[in-house]
Amino acid sequence: MSVHDPQAWDRPAPGHAGFKLPSWRWLAEAMWAIEHSFGRARADARPEEDTRVRIFVILSLFSAVFVCLAIGAANAALLAPRGGVGSISHPNAVSRADLVDRNGALLATNVVHYGLYIDPDEVWDRRAAAVQIKRVLPRVSMAKLNRILSGHRRLIVMPGLTPGERAGVHALALGGVSFEPEDRRVYPLGSSATHVLGTADTGGQGIAGAELAFDADIRAAGLRGENVPLSIDLRVQGVLENELAAAAMETQAKGAVGIIADVQTGEILGMASWPTTDRLNRAVSAHYEMGSVFKTFTVAAGLDTGQADMNTRFDASQAFMIGNRRITDFHATNQVLTLEEVYLHSSNIGTSRLAVEMGPTVMRDYFGRFGLLDAAPIELHESARPRRPTRWDDSTLASLSFGYGIMITPAQMSAAMGALTNGGRFIPLTLRRGGRPGAEARQVVSPETSLTLLDLLRRNVVRGSGGRAEAPGLRVGGKTGSANKLVNGRYDPTHAVGTFVAVFPADGPVNAKRYSILILIDEPGTYPRTGGFVAAPAVGRIAERIAPFLGVQRRADPYRTALGDKIPVFEDVEGDGR
Amino acid sequence: MSAVTALKRVFDWKVRGLRWVEIIGLVLVAAMIFSVYLAKAGAASESVRIASLERQITENGQRVRLLRAESARLEQPGRLEALSRGAGLGPVDVHRRATEASLPELAPIPEPAPVVIVSPTVAPTPADAAPAPAEVAQ
Repeated sequence: MSVHDPQAWDRPAPGHAGFKLPSWRWLAEAMWAIEHSFGRARADARPEEDTRVRIFVILSLFSAVFVCLAIGAANAALLAPRGGVGSISHPNAVSRADLVDRNGALLATNVVHYGLYIDPDEVWDRRAAAVQIKRVLPRVSMAKLNRILSGHRRLIVMPGLTPGERAGVHALALGGVSFEPEDRRVYPLGSSATHVLGTADTGGQGIAGAELAFDADIRAAGLRGENVPLSIDLRVQGVLENELAAAAMETQAKGAVGIIADVQTGEILGMASWPTTDRLNRAVSAHYEMGSVFKTFTVAAGLDTGQADMNTRFDASQAFMIGNRRITDFHATNQVLTLEEVYLHSSNIGTSRLAVEMGPTVMRDYFGRFGLLDAAPIELHESARPRRPTRWDDSTLASLSFGYGIMITPAQMSAAMGALTNGGRFIPLTLRRGGRPGAEARQVVSPETSLTLLDLLRRNVVRGSGGRAEAPGLRVGGKTGSANKLVNGRYDPTHAVGTFVAVFPADGPVNAKRYSILILIDEPGTYPRTGGFVAAPAVGRIAERIAPFLGVQRRADPYRTALGDKIPVFEDVEGDGR
Repeated sequence: MSAVTALKRVFDWKVRGLRWVEIIGLVLVAAMIFSVYLAKAGAASESVRIASLERQITENGQRVRLLRAESARLEQPGRLEALSRGAGLGPVDVHRRATEASLPELAPIPEPAPVVIVSPTVAPTPADAAPAPAEVAQ
């Protein structure tokens, strides 16, 4: 039964006169129109539009709304994502993850720094404030400080205050001074590993080195609050840097490069470029003609193709003529040499003859296999392409055979030496701990060739030009390289590059644990400038110091005792003309 | 059929004009509302606690990062080497190194000293020991 007077449908709405605003009037009229419609319905004998129907309709509407809400609430309560409680991000999340070495030693991290802001209106004594701030923060610009203090707006005086500097300024208890936190990338090791790590800009974007190469990984790990481990070992890196700097200063060199790698996995354990103030990472970005080190590859190609064996003889009794070009030996022996003697005496004539015999196709094939014709496969974006010869005629082949006519980066050399000494598998260099994921090793020479070369490298240290690289009991094998640089179109002997590429231990099976050390001294100022004098001693010292870190035990081999003494019986056998 | 009748009797069971079914329903709804309120209030206080703990973790994490950075700075290989060289330290020559196994060879274990029976000594009396502090005091 309706509470409304059925006869009152055409009455004006009560309180009509009270509402002055047109919107209120409209609303009231609309409501009364609805009310009256029921009265009209009853008058027209249409009971389905009665109050009960109205209540039912409203009830249904409310029910529908509540059912929707209930379903929504149940859905939110029961099917919420796991871990949705609390904040979504990791509490230790940072914009860039910490870079650590293979053992977890910190290399690069984010530390909260502070921007110093001053609101001059809240400073009591501006002059005194300026003097005090300058005293605890000497690197602030006095002019800027005064300009801000004489203004009327809160402005930044200096970004990047360290927590210590902030504490100093805070302790002044000045009014109007405030700090705003900002995340900054810091490299606590200073110049150590600086070229490997590279830099990230203030916006948190990697711009060089590993920071650029692993930018995406570093950001992703930062969000998870994890570290990004690199392959380098800080202890090895430290020894390499210290010995490299010592060698470079001793030889008064212009620059120097050192690379230590695990030949079985391609992991870089240490990479240094001297001087560290130079932003150029010479290890991957600088090109050098490396000289006699290339004889290793020429000999390896000769052995692997079967073109020569260790007893094949090459006439080095007189200069080798190619057209008008006369190829001579630095240490002239003037006799017929076996391939082994060619290598140990570092005979240009011998390797030139071998290279010319093999021909351009074979030489090019093998140089390509060793990665000498392409940029070193390493994650660093700085890895430069080599300068390759354009023509592959006999003269070029002769030059290539002893390391002229092609300029490569030290990283390429390290990768190629790794391939020669790990059983013939070319493994891309990597800065990731545990090796590059999904990297495929490419067989470039046979394991037998690799074993022969290992022995040859060892003999070169025991009896050849690499004697200064010997480290007692560590079975160092290696090859010297000495080249003159092209200055104004001529090879100038006063601008030289001395290299030593070594592996240790050189004995054992091809898949034994083995490490390569490359030291390159760019333009040494002392005489003699050859690799055997400028670079080899550093290699010996480095091997000696890093062996305990790498777990290499001192042991005797057929040439030397564990304490580095000669084994005379074997030397006599050698002397019999073997 | 009797079940329906029983159900209808329960439904029609009233007290002061109100159905018991409705009263029970109201009490249940009130209990549910109260329990939901308790659960929500509990969750809110937990999330405040979680947020505060997370803030603490972040602050501690930042402090740890700072300390790690500081220790890394102090342990720079170049710095350590300069300090060691300054202190006169350097790599040990190979001839001066030994393994654990070669220790007996380098320094043979001394023969146990023959047992000598010495005459018993007289233990100092407290009176003898007492003057010492007095002398120090002078």
